[in-house]
Amino acid sequence: MKHLRILLFSIASLFAFTVNAQTADEVIDKHIEALGGKDKLTSLKSLRMETNLSVQGMEIPVVQTSAHNIGQRVDISAMGMEGYVITTPTAGWSFLPFMGQSAPEAMPEDQVKEGIDQLDLQGSLLNYKEKGHTVELIGKEDVDGTECYKIKLTTKEGKIRTLFIDSKNYYIVRRIAKANVNGQEMEVTLNFGDFKKTEEGYVFPHTIGGAFGQGDMTVTKIEVNKPVDEKLFKVN
Amino acid sequence: MRLIFLFVFTLLLTINLPAQTTINSATFGMMEARHLGPGTMSGRITAIEGVTEDGKTIYVGTAGGGIWKSTNAGASFKSIFDKYCQSIGAIGIDQKNNKTVYAGTGESNMRNSVSIGNGLYKSTDGGDNWTKIGLDSTEHIARIVINPKNSAIVYVAAPGPLWSDSKHRGLYKSTDAGKTWEKILYVNEKTGCAEVDIDPLNPDVIYASTWEFRRLPYLFNSGGVGSGMYKSLDGGKTWKELSNGLPLKPFGRIAFALAPSAPNNIVAIVESNETGLYISADGGDSWKKQSAVANVVARPFYFSTIVIDPKDPKRVYRPAFKFSYSVDGGYSFAEASSDGVSVHADHHALWINPNNTNQLYLGTDGGLYFSLDKGATWLFVQNLPVGQFYHVSMDNKEPYNIMGGLQDNYSWIAPSAAPGGVNNSHWLAINGGDGFWVQPDNTDPDIVYAESQGGNANRINIKTTKAVGIKPQQVAGEEKLRWNWNTPIVTGVAGKKNLYMAAQYLYKSTNQGKDWKRISPDLTTNDKKKQEQENSGGLSADNTSAENHCTIFTIAESPLDENIIWVGTDDGNLQYTTEAGTSWTNVSKNYPAAGIPPQTWVSSIEPSRFDKNTLYVSFENHMYGDHKTYVAKSADMGKTWTLFSSSEFTGFAHKVKEDLVNKNLLFIGTEMGLFASVDGGTNWFRMKNKIPEYSLVRDIKIHPKTNDLVLATHGRGIIVVDDISPMRKLGPDIANKEVHIFNNEPVKLTSGNFGGGSLGGDGGWQAGNPPSIPPIQYYLKDRISTGKLVVEVYDATGKLVQSIPGSNRKGINKVYWNLRVKPPKTATGGSKMDFGGFIAPMVLPGDYTIKLKIEDKEYPSSLQVVHNDANKDFTMEDRQLQYKTGMELYHMHEELAKVVDEINARQKMLKENIEKAKNKKTKKLLEEYHSQLELLRSECLATKQKSQFADEERLRERITDIYASICMQEAAPGNLQLQRVSMLKEELNKAEQTNNTLSTKYYNKVKEALVKEGLMKDGKPVLENKTGR
Repeated sequence: MKHLRILLFSIASLFAFTVNAQTADEVIDKHIEALGGKDKLTSLKSLRMETNLSVQGMEIPVVQTSAHNIGQRVDISAMGMEGYVITTPTAGWSFLPFMGQSAPEAMPEDQVKEGIDQLDLQGSLLNYKEKGHTVELIGKEDVDGTECYKIKLTTKEGKIRTLFIDSKNYYIVRRIAKANVNGQEMEVTLNFGDFKKTEEGYVFPHTIGGAFGQGDMTVTKIEVNKPVDEKLFKVN
Repeated sequence: MRLIFLFVFTLLLTINLPAQTTINSATFGMMEARHLGPGTMSGRITAIEGVTEDGKTIYVGTAGGGIWKSTNAGASFKSIFDKYCQSIGAIGIDQKNNKTVYAGTGESNMRNSVSIGNGLYKSTDGGDNWTKIGLDSTEHIARIVINPKNSAIVYVAAPGPLWSDSKHRGLYKSTDAGKTWEKILYVNEKTGCAEVDIDPLNPDVIYASTWEFRRLPYLFNSGGVGSGMYKSLDGGKTWKELSNGLPLKPFGRIAFALAPSAPNNIVAIVESNETGLYISADGGDSWKKQSAVANVVARPFYFSTIVIDPKDPKRVYRPAFKFSYSVDGGYSFAEASSDGVSVHADHHALWINPNNTNQLYLGTDGGLYFSLDKGATWLFVQNLPVGQFYHVSMDNKEPYNIMGGLQDNYSWIAPSAAPGGVNNSHWLAINGGDGFWVQPDNTDPDIVYAESQGGNANRINIKTTKAVGIKPQQVAGEEKLRWNWNTPIVTGVAGKKNLYMAAQYLYKSTNQGKDWKRISPDLTTNDKKKQEQENSGGLSADNTSAENHCTIFTIAESPLDENIIWVGTDDGNLQYTTEAGTSWTNVSKNYPAAGIPPQTWVSSIEPSRFDKNTLYVSFENHMYGDHKTYVAKSADMGKTWTLFSSSEFTGFAHKVKEDLVNKNLLFIGTEMGLFASVDGGTNWFRMKNKIPEYSLVRDIKIHPKTNDLVLATHGRGIIVVDDISPMRKLGPDIANKEVHIFNNEPVKLTSGNFGGGSLGGDGGWQAGNPPSIPPIQYYLKDRISTGKLVVEVYDATGKLVQSIPGSNRKGINKVYWNLRVKPPKTATGGSKMDFGGFIAPMVLPGDYTIKLKIEDKEYPSSLQVVHNDANKDFTMEDRQLQYKTGMELYHMHEELAKVVDEINARQKMLKENIEKAKNKKTKKLLEEYHSQLELLRSECLATKQKSQFADEERLRERITDIYASICMQEAAPGNLQLQRVSMLKEELNKAEQTNNTLSTKYYNKVKEALVKEGLMKDGKPVLENKTGR
């Protein structure tokens, strides 16, 4: 009888183990582990990423240069012209001649605020409490057939980011940012794939889908922790 | 003991064994639905609530289309309830914390076709995420009220089940914001709570009305001793029934409202033997009856809304059959809109912005309207695609037309694809009333058959929309004809000329409904007890043909033999003839053995197209309070039945559909979802694929040419899943492979089916088009998380034509190749954007190889590309000339790019050395060469344009202009187009020559000068090294 009870207990615990609900922190810890660990992420200070945006067989080179919490610059070459978007914690500019701009234009303040958390190269989830963000594990949700944890992140500035973390490998496969532009609520969805480790041990997605509202961006080269000239974050 | 060991052992084994891949919705990945709408005609709106703080965040609940949210006062809407029950009874917003929203499922406008809910949901983030919080068995929820001073206190009025007795009805209260619920007002199993309101100044004061009501399949009753008007002074602990001045009981449904600004003023419409409007000015202690216009007392069970202006206690609105208003507290009413746009009849919801009481939102049977002048004029919201279709049909045109009938909103026809994408403007109304079946004639492309409620059928010419009545008539010796609310009109499958309609008898016509032949006796049970519709309604008579019973509901001709006809009735008979009607066999006594209750409504019959003796039938029994999914198969003409079962099933069944090609592919549409089986009905899965998961799927069709799955939903309009052919091919053999690339059918060369573009906006519903070029499709067993995924196209010589990033999702992926080569490299560095680098000639017909590359693995497939012979204006010769010319221009772009690259490189070098050169002569020489190059560059491409409104055109732009024309047209280049190419070629040659001439003139001189200056070593400019030396 005793054996029976133990057996039943072990069956029960077997199920309990598989259905045991994870907390948001457990999911986030595993996510950070999957990206190389806390120490590794904390050491990430700058990033230069060369990518190609593919549109109808045409490849548009896009280079993103970021310095952790200092600034980000995205350079785009298309149709024989060069353009860029710069964001820093306090200001932003865009010069996109292919969108009809003939000179750099300053970003409205609300748009600058929308991008602040993107300047955190180490990811909003790392030490989120210290950063003043809050998280909530909404539950599990199917993302294009893949089971994911759905984490709602509310940034210090009150911005809502919904992150879908693959329950198998703990990578973020989808990010939905809720933006408020001119009082209007908008959602920007990005899908991530082809996660690979750099020589230095950092894991980055090498495809970014839904960027600029269309097409897939494919990463061709990543450089980490190279010195970044802060002049890049000023209008030239 | 040993058994248990064995059990554990097996359990472990099952856990460790690699699981077989189950085929489900995710298997079909990118095979996603397109929502056709329309928004032209919308559907029943059941609840509207707005956020008081901003007056522009609005939640709209619908009868069968879920919840839609607008954050801009109605300019645009987003569907926010796609994963849950689509029938919405009530919405409640906690205005103190306005991201908290409650949604009660199950509409409580208790008409015959009303759907059923599955409980109460809550969101704390403005509708992004929802949690079910209980009241699962209430089936219908009429009102949610939140204590304005204490967010934890919530009241929910639940009328409860319509078709059965139930304890799960009454007024519920939560004191912990929805975690737990207590029933605080309950009369009996037949009586629910229809309305609740709270005194905003003294929130312990609650008013509620109870309602006794019941539907039977053939009768409706509103009213009984259970109905009453109640008041509580202690938050629902104790209740007092209000009667002073109210009419004598029994009551029916009572709609009432408090004046928010003076809550002792109450107006109530009391259904009774003296149905009328009653007013109280003392918090319900005494009431006075007022003479009320017809609209105020119209159809109380269906029109249960009365609202008092939030600021003005004298201004009362009565949205009902029409929209009435009063300015004297309800003593007199008039129609609000006398001159403006009239709104759709039948109103169920009204929200008034408390901060701007001119701003009104009205929910009708035909959609949402808003007014900025207190209801005098209205704007119709045209982007809510929540129409309630009963059936859908398609014709065989290209693109094919889709047609169907809408609850309370006519019958419609629209193309499945159109220039700029299908939008509201493409929908044409072809028949009035409530719409149900619309069937195209099999042989005459101009003729369709459509009807309004009760079998009033017409033959309609869709070119002119002129109609001829074709309803069969009662003749001598026949009983009065009993037409179902939703009378079947069916065209033959095997017999193309055959047209069928049915009352209790089946009729057949072979001349488009001009003449009919009755081909059956009464095929129903003809139970007289179920035919007393004249007594329907209860306290208010309600007999609109909606309760007609003992009628034929479904007719199906065998696709294999026009003499085999099946008929199903609403009272459970299932009968067939094998002699086109000479004799009939009733098999209704056979299906109960399979677990289907006897006398169950036969909702659809699908005779197999692969075997004469096989048929599939859906049954539904919800009118007896049974919501189970009953779909069965018989392989012996109905003698024996197998009931399909699945834990996935939800909702009572409306339709079963067998695929046209693969006999194992089956679909079921229910009141709560679409289900599919790829193994003949053994296993079923819910189809998601951008289809709302609990859609009310009333009808399912598959188009024989395009393989599109077309759904008639009762709340989300028409939904099309373009090309379901992967579902036919994808069995367990493929599903278990890691990667599978599907073989492609030959693709016809085209630049698309339509030209031009369209100017959209938020004003209407945009459904888009199916892809003009079939995609390359592959299956991935799991999402690819690591590994570059790319689809490469090679021509017959092995040359790479184009490389396209692939998608990595689980299941079927689609990659679109535009049938063109990779665009050319064009000249860079100008001051104007140029589209030449985006344009490429279409490839020539031939055999192409597709390689799906996942990191270092390769999965090849072939693709035959063929010329489209159907286009007589574009012959193969034309195509070859177009390709040749296009490629000529392509190369011209690349040659020009080479020249400009060279200029750019030299100018860069010169510029750097101009600064370094010490000798004035050298400086001058370098400057001279630079400016000569600049002169040439400014001929090659636009370099001076300052604004997009000041167009500059140089050689690059000129090439692009003609290059784009030739590549994008489906026609041979014209004579002047060809001459233009030659001319530009000369200009290009000239530019190349000039570049060479300049090179000859300056190269050696510059080199010498630079060597002399020490700026050039070994023929190359000296570069600064890192230390700056």
